[in-house]
Amino acid sequence: MSNSILHPHYGCAIGAAYTVAAIPKAVPIANSGPGCVDNQYCMLASGNGFQGAGFAGGGAMPSANLGEKEIVFGGIPRLDLLVKSTLKIIDGDLFVILSGCSSELIGDDIVALAKEYQEKGKPVVAVEAAGFKGNNLVGHELALEAIIDQYVGDYDGERTRGLINVFSEVPYFNTNWRGDLIELKRVLEGAGFEVNILFGPQSAGVSEWKTIPKAQFNLLVSPWVGLSTVEYLKEKYGQDYLHIPILPIGEEATSGFLRQVVEFAGIDKEKSEKFIAKEADEYYYFLEHFSEFFSEYWYGLPSRFATVGDSAYNIAVTKFLAGQIGLIPIKQIITDNPPQKYRAGIAKLYENLSEGISAEALFIEDGYEVEKEVENAPFCGSVPLIIGSSWEKDAAVKLGGLLIETTTPVTEELVINRSYIGYKGALSLLEKIYTLTVGGK
Amino acid sequence: MANKVKLDLVNVENREDRLGSIISWDGSASRLAELSKYEARAQKKNRACGGCGENAGGYCRIQEFDMPFNQQTMCSHSIVACQIGNITDCILIEHSPIGCSAIHPRFNMGYKIGLARRGKPIESIRIFSTNLLEEDMLFGAAEKLRRTIRDAYERFAPKAIFLSMSCSTAVIGEDIEGVGEELEEELGIPIVPMHCEGFRSKHWSTGFDISQHAVVRQIVNKNPENKQKDLINIVALWGTDYFTEMLKPLNLRVNYMIDMASFDELRQASEAAATATFCHTLGSYMATALEEEYGVPQINAPQPYGIAATDEWLRAVAKVVGKEGEIDAYIQSEHERIAPKLAELREKLQGIKGFVATGSSFAHAMAEVIRELGVQIDGSIVFHHDPVYDSGYENQDTLKHLVEHYGDIPNFTVSKTQQFQFSGLLKRVNPDFIIIRHNGLAPVAAKLGIPSFAMGDEHFPLGYDGIIRTGEALFEILARKKFGQVLKRHVKLPYTDWWLAQEDQFILAKHPEILDED
Repeated sequence: MSNSILHPHYGCAIGAAYTVAAIPKAVPIANSGPGCVDNQYCMLASGNGFQGAGFAGGGAMPSANLGEKEIVFGGIPRLDLLVKSTLKIIDGDLFVILSGCSSELIGDDIVALAKEYQEKGKPVVAVEAAGFKGNNLVGHELALEAIIDQYVGDYDGERTRGLINVFSEVPYFNTNWRGDLIELKRVLEGAGFEVNILFGPQSAGVSEWKTIPKAQFNLLVSPWVGLSTVEYLKEKYGQDYLHIPILPIGEEATSGFLRQVVEFAGIDKEKSEKFIAKEADEYYYFLEHFSEFFSEYWYGLPSRFATVGDSAYNIAVTKFLAGQIGLIPIKQIITDNPPQKYRAGIAKLYENLSEGISAEALFIEDGYEVEKEVENAPFCGSVPLIIGSSWEKDAAVKLGGLLIETTTPVTEELVINRSYIGYKGALSLLEKIYTLTVGGK
Repeated sequence: MANKVKLDLVNVENREDRLGSIISWDGSASRLAELSKYEARAQKKNRACGGCGENAGGYCRIQEFDMPFNQQTMCSHSIVACQIGNITDCILIEHSPIGCSAIHPRFNMGYKIGLARRGKPIESIRIFSTNLLEEDMLFGAAEKLRRTIRDAYERFAPKAIFLSMSCSTAVIGEDIEGVGEELEEELGIPIVPMHCEGFRSKHWSTGFDISQHAVVRQIVNKNPENKQKDLINIVALWGTDYFTEMLKPLNLRVNYMIDMASFDELRQASEAAATATFCHTLGSYMATALEEEYGVPQINAPQPYGIAATDEWLRAVAKVVGKEGEIDAYIQSEHERIAPKLAELREKLQGIKGFVATGSSFAHAMAEVIRELGVQIDGSIVFHHDPVYDSGYENQDTLKHLVEHYGDIPNFTVSKTQQFQFSGLLKRVNPDFIIIRHNGLAPVAAKLGIPSFAMGDEHFPLGYDGIIRTGEALFEILARKKFGQVLKRHVKLPYTDWWLAQEDQFILAKHPEILDED
C-alpha cells in the first residue's frame, strides 16, 4: 500500500502535458476535469521557479473541462469538438491528447479518436495519462512513447553518424531543464556531435522529432527516467543507447562524460579533445579565482549538506559537492519514486561518490518524513546546507541553515535560463551557494 | 419561506442550479443586470429560474454560449484546498491521486503571505493526499483514507480533519462520509466530508460554497450563548488587514474567515454581531448560512470599494451594530480627508483607459474604484456571473449598483479564464492597463503590450484609502507598458491568424459549422 503524501514533490501522470508543451509548437489537449492541468502547471511550471509555460502551456492549454454530463454520457463527443476547434484556433504543429482520471474511469477511447484524426493526416496523438497511473515521470515516459509511436512513426532508412538523441532532464519538472539542456547540447556539439535535444528553445520542434530514428544512437543522461524510452527505441528502430546515469557537473565530470560518449560513438577524438582543453582552461581560470575566497574563509560557511529531490539532480549535485568541493554529504533523500527495480542501482551510485567518500540514499516521497529526516540530520554545528525544494524551507529556518532550491516545488527562487551542470553550470552553482554566505548575513 | 441554505444536507447544490450562474456570455453590464432579474429571482424558491418564465416551462436561465473550445481553469476541488487547507490548526485530506494536490506549491505561497499579513507564525500548509494508485481505483481505498486520517491526527493533533472528494474517488464511489463518521467517533474530533470533485460544477466558485457549508455545518459553535457584540465576521481570502482600521470608528473587532483562521476563530462565527465580506461572490453563502441558522445578521450593502459603496457599507454596518448616529460624521470627515488627493489623482489619470478581469462581484467593485479615479472603462470580463447571491438582498446587487452609480460598461463579458478570447476582447476596447486576478490571462495582455495590475491583495483597493492606494499604484503599473511593448514587438501569441482576426469571440458557439470548413 502506498503512503499518504504531505508536501508533494511531483505532479501526476497528466503532468506529461508539460512534456508536450516543452516541444516547440506542440499543443497538449487535456481530456480531464477542469482543474487537472492547472494543478500540474503549479507543480511543474509556476510553482517550480516561476519558469512560465510559454506557447500552449498554462492558461493557453486546451482542456475539455469534463462535467457531470460527460461523466454520465461519455466525453468523446465533447473531446472531438475540442480537438477540431484546437486545430482551427491554435497555431500548432503537433497535438497531443492526454486523458485524466475521470476520462479513463468512464472509458473514453481517446486513442481511437486520435486515430481518426491521424487517418485524415492530422498530427494528433493520444496518451492515456490518468493520475492514478503514477507521477508525472511515469506520464513523461508514456507521452514520449506515444509521440514516437503515433507521430514519428516507422523508419528503416539510413542512420546519420554523429547524430544523437538526448534524453535527460524532464522538461519543466527539473527546475533548470532549459539551461541544463542548452549546456548539454553545447558541450556535445563542442565535442563534435549533431544533437537532437528535443525540448526547449534549442529544439527545432517536430522536424527534429521526425529525425529521431536517423540518429546513430540514443544518449540517456539520467539515473532511471527515460530508460524505458531508450529501450523502446532500441526495440522499435534497433537503435543502440548509451546510459550515463549521472548528470555531469564540473570540469572533471563533464570532460569524462564527453570522452565516454565520443568513445561509444567512435567519432574523431581530435575535435572533442580540443574542445575539452579549451573548456578546462576557462573552468580552472575561474576556479582559481574562486579558490581565493574558498581558502581564505571557513567560519560561517557550510561544510555538511543534505540533498532532497529527484534522482537525477540528487546524485549529480551530491557527487559534485562531495567529490569536487569537499563538502560532507550527510543526508541524501530521493523523492521521485523510482520503480523498485532501479533502486539498488541508484543507491549504488552513492556508495562510491569519490575516493573514500560514500553516502546512503533514502527513498522517501512523503514530505513530512523527508522534513523530519532533514531536521534530524547530523549537521554537527556547522551551517546546515540543504539542496532541495521550498518544502524544506521550514526545516532550514528551524535549523538556521541555507536552502538552495533545485527541485520542484521552487517558490523562493526565480529561474529563467539557469544551469547547474556541465562546465558553466558548475560555476553558477558555486556562485549560488556561496552568495548565500557572504556579506555579513 | 424555506431556508436558502440547507445545512441538514452534507452536499451543497451547485451554483448553476442554486443561483442560475453562467460562465459564457457577452453584452453590456446594464443588459446583464436586466437579464439577471436579481430581485424577482431572489424571491423564487428555484433561483436558477428568474421568475419570468413560468409560462415557458418554469425556466428562465440566462441564455449562455456553449463553446466547443475550452482552456484549462481551476476546479472546485482546488478552491476547497485553498480555503479549508488554510485553516491554521485543522487538517485537510485530499482523497485522490497525487495530481489533485499538485497545486499545493501555489497555495503554500498564498498561505505564508496570508499568515504574514495577519501577523501569525509562518509555516507551510499541511494538506495530505491519500496518493491513490491504479489498484485503489479497482479495489477501493477506504483503508488508505482511514490510515491517513489516523496519521494526520497523530502527527499534528488537529482540532478537526476535513476530507475532500476528487473526480476519481467520486466516480468509483468512495464513501468519505461513512469513513468520516467512523473516525469521528474513534478520534473525538470533527471529521468533515466535502463533495468537491472537479467535474460536479461548471464553475470553481461552488468550491467556496462547499468549504463554507462544511465550516458552518460542523465547526461553528452550535450554542452561541455568549454573543460577542463587538465582533464582526469578514468572509475574506488572504488580503491585508485593512478592515480593522476601517471599523475602528465603530469599535469592532474583525474575525476573518476562512483563510488563516484557527478552529476557534471559525467556531466563534455564530457568536458575532454581524457578517460582511469583501466580495459577495465569495461570502454570500456563508453570511446567509450564519444568518439563517444563528441569527447573525449580514451587511445588506455592496462591498466597500469606491466612495458610494463604502459609504453605504459603513452605514449598513453601523445600523446592524446600533451605532447609526456615529457614522455620518466619520464618513463626512473621510470624504474631506481624501478629497484633495483624489482630485489630484483624477487630474493625472485623465484620459487613461482601464479593463477589469476578475471574479464576479469583485470585478463590479474594481470597476467602481477605477471609475472613482476618473479612469475610463469600456470593457470588463467576469469569470462567471451569479444573477443573484444567496442572501437575495437587494442592496447586495453589485452589478446594478455599478451601473446605477457609475454608468454602464458597454462591453461586458462572462468568460471563465478563457485565454483565447482575451486578446480579441482587449483589442475591442484597447485599454492602457488591466486589473486582474487568477492565472492564465495576464500573459496575453503583456504580449499585446498592455500591463497588468495583478490584484493579489484583494483588500488593497478597500475603502477610502484604497481608492488613493490604487490610484497611486496605477502609475507604477502604467510604467510597465515599456515591458509590454518590447514583448509585443517580438513575441507571438499561440493562436492562428484566422482566430486572431475574429471579432466575435463567441462565433464558434453561434456558428459551429465553421469548424467543419477547411
